[in-house]
Order: sequence, then structure tokens, then C-alpha cells
Amino acid sequence: MTEATAVQGTTVTREPPRRSARSALQALEVDTRLLGMVLALVVIWIGFNILSGGLFLTSRNLWNLSVQSASVAIMATGMVLIIVSRNIDLSVGSILGLTGMTMAMLQAEWIPRTFGLGFEQPYTWIVALAAGIALGALVGGIQGFVIAYIGVPSFIVTLGGLLVWRGLAFQLAQGQTIAPMDTTFALLGGGPKGSLGEALSWLVAGIAIAFVLYSLWAGRRRRRRYGFPLRPMWAEVMLAVFGCVAALGAVWVANSYPWPSNLATEYAVANGITEPEGGLIIPTGIAMPVIIAIGTAVVITFLATRRRFGRYVFSIGGNPDAAELAGINTRRTIMGTFVLMGMLAAISAAVLSARLNAATVGLGTQSELYVIAAAVIGGTSFAGGIGTIPGAVLGAVIMQSLQSGMVLLKVDSPVQDIVVGLVLVTAVGLDTYIRRRTA
Amino acid sequence: MSIRRLAAVASIAAMTLAACSTGTGGSAAPSAAGSAAASAPAGSAAAGGGCTVGMSWNNYQEERWAKWDEPAIKAAIEAGGGTYISNDAKSSAETQATNVENLISQGAKVVIILAEDDVAIKPSVTSAIGEGIPVIAYDRLIEDPGVLYITFDNIEVGRMQAREIFKLVPSGNYAIIKGNEADANARFLREGYEEIIGAAVTAGDIKIVGETFTDGWKPDVAQTNMEQILTSANNDVDAVLSENDGMAGGVVAALEAQGLAGKVPVSGQDGDQAALNRVALGTQTVDVWKDARELGTAAGEAAIALCADPDVAAVPDTADFTTPGGNTVKSQLLTPQPILKDNLNVVVDAGWITKDALCQGVTDTSVAACQ
Repeated sequence: MTEATAVQGTTVTREPPRRSARSALQALEVDTRLLGMVLALVVIWIGFNILSGGLFLTSRNLWNLSVQSASVAIMATGMVLIIVSRNIDLSVGSILGLTGMTMAMLQAEWIPRTFGLGFEQPYTWIVALAAGIALGALVGGIQGFVIAYIGVPSFIVTLGGLLVWRGLAFQLAQGQTIAPMDTTFALLGGGPKGSLGEALSWLVAGIAIAFVLYSLWAGRRRRRRYGFPLRPMWAEVMLAVFGCVAALGAVWVANSYPWPSNLATEYAVANGITEPEGGLIIPTGIAMPVIIAIGTAVVITFLATRRRFGRYVFSIGGNPDAAELAGINTRRTIMGTFVLMGMLAAISAAVLSARLNAATVGLGTQSELYVIAAAVIGGTSFAGGIGTIPGAVLGAVIMQSLQSGMVLLKVDSPVQDIVVGLVLVTAVGLDTYIRRRTA
Repeated sequence: MSIRRLAAVASIAAMTLAACSTGTGGSAAPSAAGSAAASAPAGSAAAGGGCTVGMSWNNYQEERWAKWDEPAIKAAIEAGGGTYISNDAKSSAETQATNVENLISQGAKVVIILAEDDVAIKPSVTSAIGEGIPVIAYDRLIEDPGVLYITFDNIEVGRMQAREIFKLVPSGNYAIIKGNEADANARFLREGYEEIIGAAVTAGDIKIVGETFTDGWKPDVAQTNMEQILTSANNDVDAVLSENDGMAGGVVAALEAQGLAGKVPVSGQDGDQAALNRVALGTQTVDVWKDARELGTAAGEAAIALCADPDVAAVPDTADFTTPGGNTVKSQLLTPQPILKDNLNVVVDAGWITKDALCQGVTDTSVAACQ
């Protein structure tokens, strides 16, 4: 089977490209599942846009959607590695609650009151964030140790963790809501002030384009060096154009969402600017949670595909015994995935609590379900060894699109749950069916 | 084999803990020993004292029960010469049924129940009443015509929220953020809203531009819902009725992102510290406060009255209350208090919140409680 594809691949490169859709896709070497998801997302967006009378595809709603998806997307990247290595983590929502509460207590109680250092110190946000991530790593490490070295199934360990970490979060503040957050920390949650603004957003687009072009060029060079078949030039150009358009388009959307007029007026007054006719237009740009999510996805993708750690994770998922016999330190690798997951839950906690400007004892409740669903909709297989990080991020966006869209249409929450549940099972069912047909 | 040994160790541990908590008396609900072992003096002790009142908590692991309700209940019972015993069902309806029987076998003459499930608890309640032991439904309704229902008037909470908001915004666009759909309180509150703003809605003065239930009363869900409502109404929202403080926090965060916080009136209830701080800051208009100590005292006093005369109709200050299930029960409905910027001193004077926590970040000199 693999041989056949390889032969076909070489013929495609030598002959003038045949203009059938299938061969074009083969030449582009895009992941058909990912492409299917993008198409599904487009259908969902257009559908909601029609049903909501053009409200869905506004820059404002898309900007909101990007922020709302961020926290689940951040955790879903780590969940892919956990599920790929044939484990599960049910405790992420509770770790989120515990680390979020710790970060909130640090900035609203311990630093200002217990240590008497006062509110709004310049270092508060970074101390809180670092402590939260360290705690996430510790909590994940404890679970990972029990799973990998003592051999208790991850389902059980993290089910216990689900209860334990939430209980500890309660103990920290006796169930109280802790608010408000440090104003610098609150910027991590987005909002117009917690966004990059016009110039920096374009800079991000520039970096993304440079990255796309470089990786295409480097990939081509690498293939040539090892004598692998090359993509036809038209395919390379098409991929480059597509990547550039996507980056520019996303930033264009984020920049065409202006600051709400009230905030713009406040800003104008504070800076002594006379407001022009029709109000001051300040482009919002990409929100911090989205930057954090993209950054996380890039780092985890790099770890998963370019580092030894990632290769180990996938080979353990493919065949744990073979991986162990091949000399991979499977235990350390598994523990590593849980440490990483704990850290990501903490980052997600920072984003969520900053966005809410408060930490509540229930913060992140049930988010484990959304995170697992995002990873699975994104094509991660429970059989192990299969899964991609961009897929999981797309999965998170698809689920949030459904939920936000239904609120716009004034669909009430029980019906939302029904739809999301059905979509989850249908997506995975369809995927399994297609995979079996094409295998 | 090892599992069996583990079980043995666990049961020994549980018994030890049970013994310990019995030793400490009725001061706290058991956290480790679980359902079977109540933190209570043994039957002999109860027989020596006055009337024993049993309290069945559904889930003691919530801040307010330990901090506010229990001390008040206990104080009122002890002031009446009674003894207080309790246990905790840890959010399990089955455990609570056993717990109620345990309280009775420990000599309780009156049982106060904070029900986990108003229907599942019914068989235990019916059998208790059958044995001549009166039952007080504490804070949550139990659908049994024989109980005495003591709670804050939740419809009145809704009326109070709507009244304060309606005073400020007699006409315009309203958003309504309701709690969990499965919770009867979410509907009681909405009923209260309807009584105040219903006429204005029919007359067309008030337009409801968004109304959603919120899964599990979660603040972050309320925030997302509010963002979507603001998007669909293009920020043209003049007032928000939020059923509790946690969700009001999410609503205010969503308004803040649009520069509307403090400009759009928002309601809440519960007296959360963060919410009272928002009232002082001016980003939340009203916080309906239910002093849990008042509720605890009322229940304790009613229990003592029932010790003397087990007829619930004979308890002073009761009225008939028709339940959603069509039963008529005797009830005491306490009146909550709306907290606004002008009367914040009430919560400070009551020791509910420190001035420090209330006034954090407040620069407005018109807030009297912060001067």
C-alpha cells in the first residue's frame, strides 16, 4: 500500500500534473482529514451567518470566537499527546481550577495582604503566572509518576485527580470567588487592552508568512538532499499562497474589529486626543489569549514532530511494547506528557481567570470533556499513535463555533449540549467509517 | 487479596475516625468519616440532656454552611436547651436517606434537612413524620405536605433585583442571565422579574434582547453568553438582570471589554465578597443579600418549638405555601435585603465583610461605607 502511493507520487512529479481533484490533493500532500475539518468549519460558519442574519461572520464575532476558543485549544494541544500515548487525562479541568485559584490568591491575597507588599506591583503578574505553571507541572508530575512508575491506569489516577485538585482549590479560598486580578495579569485574558493592536498584529502576520515560506523552502531542500520525490512547483506555490492569504486574512479580520466606542473615547480623553468625526477608530488586533494559544500550538507541534520526545510519544502510542524493546524510556516519556499537560492547564487557567477577572471554585468545571472532545474531533485516535495538534486546535474552534453560534441564535443551553454531543459522535463516526473504507 | 487487605485497613481507619469525631462532639460535620458515623454524642448523652435536633447536610463542603448557617442553628438550639447533632451526605441522595435514619436512631426528636434531591428524600421524610418526628426543610423545598419549609423568599429576591434595575431603566433593552435550568430557584427568580417588568415588556417599553439559562450557574459561561448577546444587539443593552453574583461577575467582565461596565446596571444575589466590592466600585447595581445566620436562627428556634409540640401548624409565624408540586406546606419565608451603594454599611456592620475587602480599589468618595 505504502509502496503504491510512493510509486504514484513519483509518477505525478514526473508527468505534467493531471487535473483531477484527487491527484491535485495528492500533489499538495495536504492531510485530507484536516481539509475535511476546514470544510466543515466553513459550512458551519456560513450556515450560522445565514441563520443569524449576517451576525456571525462579522469581525467582532470572529474576534470573540477566537478568544472564547483559546483556553480549550491550549489544553487540547497537550491532550493530543496524552491520548496518542494511549492515556487519558480527566483531571485537566480540576488542575485548571486549582492553579487558577492559586494564581488569584497570590495576586489578591498573599502578595498584597499576607506578605504586605501591596496591590498592583510590577512583578505580581509574572510571579503569579510562574507559580501557577510550576504548580501545574508539579500536579501533572505527581499524576504522571503514579501512572508511569507505579502503573495505575491513567483513567483512575486522573479520575482521582479530578476530585482531589478541585477539593484543594476549594480549600484554598474556602469556596470564595477571588477577584479582582492584577491589572497587568488581566491583560492575558484579552479584551481590547489585552490585544496586540494594529502594527504588532501585522508583524505577527509577517512572521507567520516568513515561517511558511522558510519551512516550504527548507522542506524542499531536505527532500532534494535525501533524494525524496519533490512536490511539483505549482503545488509549492499554491501552498505558499494559501499560507500567506490565511495569515494576512486572519490578521485583517482582527484589525478590522475596532475598539468599542466607549473605550476609544476614554482613551482619547486620557491621551488628550481630539476625537475625529464619527469617533476614534483603534484597530484591536489579535488578542493575547489567541497569541498564547498559537504560540502553544507551535511549540507543541515542534515538540511532537521535530523532537525525540514527540517521536517517542507517537511510537509508544503505536506499539508500547515495541517502543520499550527499542530502548525508549517509556515511563519518563509518559510522565513528561502529564507534566506538560499540567503546565498547559495552568496557562489555560491564567487565560480564563484573567478574562473573567476573577477565580471561582468552579472555574474550568467540565472543561476536561471539551478538551477531550476537541482532540478527538481533531482526529486523535483512542487506539493510540494517531493525532495532530493543528487538528485539535481546529476541533476546539469548531466546538466553540457551534456554541457561540447557537447563543447568537438564542438556542438555550440544553439544546446546545444536545447538538454538541451529537456533533462529537457524528464527527468521530464519520471519520472512522471513511478511514475503514479507504484503508 | 491485596484489595481485601486494603478494604480492611480502610474500614479500620474509618472506624477510628468515626470514634474520633464522636469524641469531639457535635461541633462539626464529619468530613472523613462519611455518612454512617455522625459527629454526635451517643444516644445515652442525648437522653441525659434536653431535646436532640438532628441536622442532615447535603454537602457540607460549601463555604456558607460551616461559616454562617451551622453556628446560628447550633446557637439557637443550645439556647433553647437542646442538643445539636449532624451528618453530611456529600452530595449523595442515597446517603442522605440513610443519614436521616441515623439521626433518628441517635435520638433526634426533630430533623432539619438541607435536601440534596427534593424527591429522592421523600420516603425518609414520610417515614420520619410517620414516627412522629417533625421535619424542617431547610433552604430547599421538600415535596411533602408534612414538612415545615424555612427559606428566603426567592421570588422576592427576583422582585428586589428587578425593582432596583427597573427604577434606573424604566424602558430600554434588557438582557436576562438565568441560572441552571434544572434548578427551581432559577425559575422562582424569573417569576419575580416578570412581576416587576412584565407589564413594561407587554407595553413595549422594555425589549428583552437576550435571555439565556447558564449551565451550572457558571460565571465563565455567563460571560460568553453576555458577549454573544452584546454582539447580536450591537452593544445596545441598557440593563442586565443576572440571577446571582457569580454570573454577574461574568456579565461585568463582558461589559468591561466593551467599555460599558458601570454604565449598564447589573443585578445579583448572595453577598459574595467580590460582588459587594463591585457594588462599591459601581459596576454592579444591586446585590440581594440573604443573611444565612437569620435563616439558621429561624430554623433552630422552630426546631425547639417543635420539640415542645410536634405539630408544625403550631410553630409561630408560619404561612401556607403552595409548592410547584401542588402540595400545601407550612412555611416561614424570610425577607432578604437588597444591598446598594448607599447601604453597604449594613454588610460591614453585620461582620459579613471587612471594610478592607469591600472598598478595595474604590476611589469614589460618594461611597459612604468606604469613608
